Amino acid sequence: MAPANKPKHHVVVGSGVAGSQAAATLRERDPDSRITIFTLSSLPFYNRYDLPKVFRGRQDWREFLVYPPSYYEEHRITLRRNCRVANVDGRRRVLALEHKEDVAFDTLLVASGGRAYLPEELSDFRLLMQRFASFTEAMGVRKQLPEGGHAVLLGGDMIGLDLARTLVDTGYRVSLVTGPHTFWPHEVSDAQRPVLLAALERMGVVLVDGVAAGGIAAIEEGARGMPARRVVFRDGSDLRGDVVMPFFGLVPSVEFMLGSGVDIERGLLVNEALRTTDEAIYAAGDVCQIWSDAERKYRFYYGWKNVRAMGELAARNMTGGDEPFRPAQDEQLEIRSDGWLHSPFWEYE
Amino acid sequence: MMTQRMMPATDIQIAICGSAGDGTIAAGEILRNVMAGIGYKVISFDVYPAEIRGFGKCIARMRITTEQAYSLKQRSDVLISLDDSHAIPHVGEVRDCGAVIYESGSIRPVPEGGHISAHILPGQLPYGVPLRELSEKATGANKSRNIVALGYLAGLFGLPAQPFIEGIDGKFKKKAEVARSNEAAFQEGYAIGQATYKLDDVSFEPVARSAGNGARVAMINGNAAVVRGCLDAGIETFFGYPITPATSIMERLAAEMPKRGARLLQTEDEISAISATVGAGYAGARAATATSGPGLALMAEMLGLGVIAEVPCVVFVSQRGGPATGMPTKHEQSDLHMAVYGGHGDAPRIVIAPTNVEGCYRCAGKAFEMAEAYQVPVIVLLDLYLSNRYETVSFPARPPFEPDMTRYAEKGELGEGYKRFRVTEDFISPRAVPGTREGMHVATGLEHNEPGRPNDQPENHQAQSHKRHQKLKAALRHPDFTHYKRFGDEGKVDVGLIAWGSTFGECLEAMHKARTDGIRCAAMKVVMLSPFPAEAVAAFMDDCAAVLVPEVNYQGQFANLLQANVGRRVERLDRVPGTPMPVEEILQEIRRLTGRIEARRPVRVA
Repeated sequence: MAPANKPKHHVVVGSGVAGSQAAATLRERDPDSRITIFTLSSLPFYNRYDLPKVFRGRQDWREFLVYPPSYYEEHRITLRRNCRVANVDGRRRVLALEHKEDVAFDTLLVASGGRAYLPEELSDFRLLMQRFASFTEAMGVRKQLPEGGHAVLLGGDMIGLDLARTLVDTGYRVSLVTGPHTFWPHEVSDAQRPVLLAALERMGVVLVDGVAAGGIAAIEEGARGMPARRVVFRDGSDLRGDVVMPFFGLVPSVEFMLGSGVDIERGLLVNEALRTTDEAIYAAGDVCQIWSDAERKYRFYYGWKNVRAMGELAARNMTGGDEPFRPAQDEQLEIRSDGWLHSPFWEYE
Repeated sequence: MMTQRMMPATDIQIAICGSAGDGTIAAGEILRNVMAGIGYKVISFDVYPAEIRGFGKCIARMRITTEQAYSLKQRSDVLISLDDSHAIPHVGEVRDCGAVIYESGSIRPVPEGGHISAHILPGQLPYGVPLRELSEKATGANKSRNIVALGYLAGLFGLPAQPFIEGIDGKFKKKAEVARSNEAAFQEGYAIGQATYKLDDVSFEPVARSAGNGARVAMINGNAAVVRGCLDAGIETFFGYPITPATSIMERLAAEMPKRGARLLQTEDEISAISATVGAGYAGARAATATSGPGLALMAEMLGLGVIAEVPCVVFVSQRGGPATGMPTKHEQSDLHMAVYGGHGDAPRIVIAPTNVEGCYRCAGKAFEMAEAYQVPVIVLLDLYLSNRYETVSFPARPPFEPDMTRYAEKGELGEGYKRFRVTEDFISPRAVPGTREGMHVATGLEHNEPGRPNDQPENHQAQSHKRHQKLKAALRHPDFTHYKRFGDEGKVDVGLIAWGSTFGECLEAMHKARTDGIRCAAMKVVMLSPFPAEAVAAFMDDCAAVLVPEVNYQGQFANLLQANVGRRVERLDRVPGTPMPVEEILQEIRRLTGRIEARRPVRVA
């Protein structure tokens, strides 16, 4: 614990919506403190929700930045990029970086988000698939996909479907291999599912029922003169495309918190004030499961509005507040009047 | 009408920073040679520690352009860190959207904030690379981290690998095993660099190779250019004593002179070196020595002998931070007073100061011509920045130097009445080198009469002193030599820059930037410092509303020399940072002067 007269060191792990909002709020509420953000990203905070726009002509990362680089200096926020946290010692209040640097903190906010989940049966083929979680990955897809080319999306969560609607709208062909994750993180009933799939078809997405095909047997490089990739199903059928992209939802990035002393289930378990079982450690965003009194369980909350609200609330509670989290996001999938699917998770400010 | 200078298509400055032993300078050497070989123009300057032992900071900086540049930039586009503790203070020199390439791993604990990632600014792009791991993978050892970093750089920026492989082979040609392992290290880094998405906006544009005209293009530093000038001018003897930053002149000459039947001797000190040089010059050889400020101080007495005995010889002086031992590996231009005035008595000599690496070559060769033509020691005033700075230089196919400019005594002048120090119309006396039949004469440190015999009569001392001073005026017209040169000349301007030595490069860069900003600015370089081209300088000053003299010494030594010779005041910009004068600082001063001129300009009332 810092002496009363010594400025506190607030450390934030993750520079996404939750982490960046938390840093901004921390600066507002604790003007004399030190604030450090650690992130794996090479870039300052940019809007990942905008990434599909690489297909609409935006290909300079600077166009995606939420704050200009000068923001960090002006707000005295130290942004440390390309930094992987190796572990956290909650008792000593020390965080260790992979390059063997120890950083002491007074309060820690874990906002490390989630990484794309890849089913184990596909992990052998990961080098043949393109991810779409960062600017550089988005640009990689943009480079590999020829104009009017064919993208094969596996699974199809809300991140994937957001990309799918942009690709269709910009003249690409999209095939979606559907499965249990197609509408993740929305919970969809058996009755709703065909209606929603039909909406996707109306949007121009070609649907391939992966379950009916027995699942994916292999992903291969395309033969010379053929599209670059081939997805082979267990029933012997195949699907060729220029890129294959997995979208199976997110898994929380919590590995570095193992051994920190806080409770972890799938994500970091936090109370309604977003505090973990260590009073100096908080969590916000896709990495945490929040206790819901109403549902009597820990649950994830997704979407830009929820995540930003969590970042702000965590910062408030790290600086003396004690307020509960109140979801700020509508979570219902809907069919719009034009027949297209719309997810509130695609909305951001 | 003011001409707009085209901005170079490629203008990239790369700084490699590490600890002594990291291979920082070696990596820089390979990179600059490769880039010059590809066809880019390169200016490069290495900074290394004064201490021979220990692990001081080394920085290799190079500016790579498609059009000729004149100085290093204040801000680099890329920084490669081979040692964070040394590189961290230099992260701030990387521009926005520039790249910082660094070791991502660490084998020992780093104190909080001790990793470079804590210092990379949000506008800069970080590229963490496991240099050590890749080096170990490729070579079984971590010693090739520098080459892995080079490979990464080349891969990231899309540069061709083959010239680098050849450059590595060339660098380690005597150690085939080392060359092979470094090639492997390069390839490891290259592959990773190629696979990395480039986020910065540093971009190497293709370069067109210039058509061959028989010229020899080389990537060379100032001292090496001096050596080439000496050799092309037919140097016959060299005596020297090592001293930073002049030592490499002697080292290179020691390798080359014996191949040409010339002689070099490392003497026991600088006094011996200048004594032997004056002796060799007296004997008729093209003779030279090289030293730095402290050595020149020791040579002052014997230089006086060279002046009074009218002996041709050349002294290369590479200036460094002073006084005394001072800052041996830091740049300064503070030996001008000593070069022009140093020593006892009225001892006029020729002092010339090149402003770039090509100038080092020309001044070196021309110094021998001048020493012979005007029978006097010639000091070629270099500085650390120029001595160690690499540039791509195009050397003429044939050496542009006269093999012998001695005015030998003719038959009728020799014999019993031979007057070695005769006061002639142009004050240059007929010379007979030892061994010339009927050319026997006395050469002494005592004041002498025309035949050379000691004579301290007032009229004689007056006449001989006058002769020794007057004969040098002809040097201001020495053929095929750039004594001074004006740049950006279109008549009257608001600010004129006058500079000497390596600082002129920064001035030229500042002038171009000022003109791009719409400021009426011109520049003049002065190569001939003694005798001083007062008329030409005065004419330039006539065309300038204000004249600024930037130089890297505290006293404004060139400004003093200029004012003494021209009798007019100049604005001074005197800095002693131990590094070259920042262009931005000159530019700032130009803007300040322009503002002052604008404020004084009468307002036209409509």
